[in-house]
Amino acid sequence: MVKISAERKRAIAQAWLEMTLCTYPSQSMQFMLDERDRFRNPVGHALKNGIPLLINEILDETDSERARQALEEIVRIRAVQNFSARDAVGFVFLLKRTLSQELPDDNKDRLELERRVDEMALTAFDFYSQCRAKISDIQVSEARRRVAQLQRIYSEAEGR
Amino acid sequence: MPGAPPKPEELVQISYDPPRADWRKTRFDFQKGTYCYSAAAKNLRYLDLPNPRDWQPYEADWKLPPNWKEIILKGMKERLEKFRSFRLFMDICVRCGACADKCHFFLGSADPKNMPVLRAELIRSVYRRYFTLAGRIFRGLAGARDLTEDVLKEWFYYFYQCTECRRCSVFCPFGIDTAEITIMVRELLNLVGVNTNWVLEPAANCFRTGNHLGIQPHTFKDSIDFAVDEIEEITGVRVEAPINKKGAEILFIVPSADYFAVPHYYTLLGYLMLFHEIGLDYTFSAYASEGGNFGFFSSHEMMKRLNAKIYAEAKRLGVKWILGGECGHMWRVIHQYMDTLNGPADFLEEPVSPITGTRFANARSTKMVHICEFTSDLIYNRKLKLDPSRNDHWKVTFHDSCNPARGMGLLEEPRYIIRNVANHFYEMPENTIREQTFCCGSGAGLGTDENIDMRLRGGLPRANAAKYVRDKYGVNLLTCICAIDKATLPTALEYWTPGVEVGGIHELVANALVMKGEKERITDVRGEPLQLGKEATVNA
Repeated sequence: MVKISAERKRAIAQAWLEMTLCTYPSQSMQFMLDERDRFRNPVGHALKNGIPLLINEILDETDSERARQALEEIVRIRAVQNFSARDAVGFVFLLKRTLSQELPDDNKDRLELERRVDEMALTAFDFYSQCRAKISDIQVSEARRRVAQLQRIYSEAEGR
Repeated sequence: MPGAPPKPEELVQISYDPPRADWRKTRFDFQKGTYCYSAAAKNLRYLDLPNPRDWQPYEADWKLPPNWKEIILKGMKERLEKFRSFRLFMDICVRCGACADKCHFFLGSADPKNMPVLRAELIRSVYRRYFTLAGRIFRGLAGARDLTEDVLKEWFYYFYQCTECRRCSVFCPFGIDTAEITIMVRELLNLVGVNTNWVLEPAANCFRTGNHLGIQPHTFKDSIDFAVDEIEEITGVRVEAPINKKGAEILFIVPSADYFAVPHYYTLLGYLMLFHEIGLDYTFSAYASEGGNFGFFSSHEMMKRLNAKIYAEAKRLGVKWILGGECGHMWRVIHQYMDTLNGPADFLEEPVSPITGTRFANARSTKMVHICEFTSDLIYNRKLKLDPSRNDHWKVTFHDSCNPARGMGLLEEPRYIIRNVANHFYEMPENTIREQTFCCGSGAGLGTDENIDMRLRGGLPRANAAKYVRDKYGVNLLTCICAIDKATLPTALEYWTPGVEVGGIHELVANALVMKGEKERITDVRGEPLQLGKEATVNA
């Protein structure tokens, strides 16, 4: 566990959130930051809700299921948005930039924290791959459902 | 896509500076997964549409006719004169931004050009340049821009990122109907042969055989007969399903997916069982075997051509009125366009339920009644014996399909039916249902495989609300009354909200309906075992 005050944690989370929002077009950023209704702003909500959990995970290494879910939710969204694979998961590395501003270079925890960020990025990449694989699967199931009845009728006719 | 893989030290140097450029100068790519393929030349030829050729949106050369610009501007002029709404919508917007954050594509993609106001600006800027004095003189200063090939491509990209769901128009203080703007732009694009196969192939098939897949009458009959056999297996009751029966009282129109796709098919079983149980004198038509109207997604003319077959068949078969199934945009076409396209249908009678005597005065002009209006009236008048416990394995929510909800105001009837046929019904959050319902993200001809990323972006707000009721109440079935919803929401939910199935209202009716002479039901209409041993509650 790395000792950082709750206030500093919030500041780190806010900085990371804002950097991540900056990966979106400028005209949309403010809305995603300001709109509080989770149903009117699903992407902003996933980020605002998820990032503090991810910060806890990095600083306190809680290994919590909630943090995994939050990371998955963010990646699930970014996997279908207008990002390359690199940019979809790259938001995790933006945390390194915040940490470097927050902690002096000779801080003994710095290397360890950066290792955790790398771990999280790799997990994010796993989620990203799973999401893209899922998209192929759902396309196949949709195509099957589309003519499912006709196929049943033909199979039955062939069986007769 | 980047060329060489990034070096490790580059990974921490992602540029996170937002683009600050003027919206007119920001570029887009035809990124895989975010656009629909072009229409095959054979379909354009079949529908007598201009400029049939082989091309794709991602190619640099769209093989437009040499005078394409002249054609588009002439088309705009004609439409500005013909449709007062179009001119009004071009002039009246004050950019208040009320619509900006209401589009499901904007919410899912964060692309500002999916804000309805900015999407409309793509054509308004051209309107100003060529059709207003200020735009002609002051050009860019008056928010005007030249019509170029890049602008045309941008129109194609973004106006096929609008599902014509009209959620934004609910919030517009002027009542600007962005769907109408999308319809106009698509119409203009059609004039130069810029269109998508997912729209035009079903339209061509529909024009030829009467339905989207091009199914011929004998196969249509096979499909209906198959359903009749299956109902007998499930219930022990042999129902009749008349096709092309002259002199029947009612013509019944369904979206074709009801008889060739799942989960639509379970709803078809519900219709057939219901009609048998009440002894309805009705008929299907093997020619008007499609409620859907993909003409609506390309031009007014095409919408009219496809809508006409329903009324032509009603006339040929000599019915008194028309009943329509769980279809989405069919109802917007019927409710808001049919009268001026092919109406008034004065050869038909004002619909009256032969079972309850209820007069459907709301359908006086179109002579077409929604199945949910019809069934809720039956339930209200206690004409059905229902056992809602046969749906106890479902924890149900209801997605208001955009067109029946916003296009014709059908909000209460589906809920009334659900409450009578199921015991566990949970609403999604208030600002995601009824008039404010979120679209499935795949309507208006966007529901194709190659457009999957864009569809998932558009489906996020709806799936996000479904996730809320899944997690809070254990909802495992999202019901809806639109064939496109039933085709595409399972896909969106499988990605965003696994564990929530999609079904129709009349699927729930099929399970709950206690039929005269039925055997003990051991499965629902999907073949899933029922939770037996519960007391039946009966609505008769």
